[in-house]
Amino acid sequence: MTIHRVRLAAGLLLAVLGLLTALPAAGLALTVNEVAREVRCPTCNTPLDTSSAPVALDMKEYIAERIDQGWTKQRIIDGLVAEFGREVLTTPPKSGFDLVAWIVPALAVAAGLAALPFVARAWSRRRGSGPAPAEIAPEDALRLEEELRRHPT
Amino acid sequence: MEESTPPPVPDEARRHDRRRLWGLVAGGVAALLVVVLLIVGLANRGVSSDIDDALQRGERPPAPDIALPVLIAGPGVGPVGATVSLEQLRGKPVVLNLWASWCDPCRDEAPILEEVWARYRERGVVVLGLDTEDLTEKALAFAKEYGLTYPSLRDPGDDSKRKLGATGVPETWIIDADGNIAMHIIGQVTSAEQITRPLDQVLAQ
Repeated sequence: MTIHRVRLAAGLLLAVLGLLTALPAAGLALTVNEVAREVRCPTCNTPLDTSSAPVALDMKEYIAERIDQGWTKQRIIDGLVAEFGREVLTTPPKSGFDLVAWIVPALAVAAGLAALPFVARAWSRRRGSGPAPAEIAPEDALRLEEELRRHPT
Repeated sequence: MEESTPPPVPDEARRHDRRRLWGLVAGGVAALLVVVLLIVGLANRGVSSDIDDALQRGERPPAPDIALPVLIAGPGVGPVGATVSLEQLRGKPVVLNLWASWCDPCRDEAPILEEVWARYRERGVVVLGLDTEDLTEKALAFAKEYGLTYPSLRDPGDDSKRKLGATGVPETWIIDADGNIAMHIIGQVTSAEQITRPLDQVLAQ
């Protein structure tokens, strides 16, 4: 009975250890969709993971074969770029002239944030100031005072 | 009547107006830039219909400047990987066929193109495939499966498609010896006569 329990405990321990070692591996394993979402289908211009066009199916097969051969994600993507050109990437590379596509939106956001205090100040000034009081000529002021004196409500 | 002089504009108000003007100018320039970029982008992505328009007017428009790497070598087109242009083939009539391994109608027309190549190559005609948006290994397997012996170029993207005004795959162009397009067949070639009839006219000139 005791031996049976020890065997059972050892079996459970081995199973748990096996699971623990298998789980991270499963989590780290590269999937076709992981690569596919980085490239687009050249004929339909949608991300590859959402496309079922004939060329997209060929490309997914290409990715699956390379994963089986142990290629890294970047190597597979580079292979697809060599086949279809840089236009196949869903996002432009962060180097060379393509860097413009990353810098310009960031600059636009920065410019917008920088302009915010100026715009806010201009708005608050416009709201707070209202129409400027009309200037009154000195002779009119005298006349007004005289009238007020003559008719004190 | 007494004329009153306008009150002097305070310096701050003047500065404020100047700042506002600069802001408007900067905003306007930025908006204009965005619009120009959009127009340029859309114009570059669009497929040109110039060739078909000219053909409909009865003209023979010049074939676009296309220079691409060789996928399958053939007489006057090679070696594999070298860049060959349509310009280099000037002096020979060219049957240019846009194809891809994933295109089903291409499977049906490939034997017809091979037949035209076999019948006309001795007369100086070049049947030239133009594989587009395709994986090299799939394209080569396709050529092997259908026993294609005519040469092919390879366009990794859709640049040549746009230059030729192609709207899909397959499409075929007959280019005369002077490098002008004599005919554009949209879609699948269903019989050899579809190509040989205009090709005979081109050769007779």
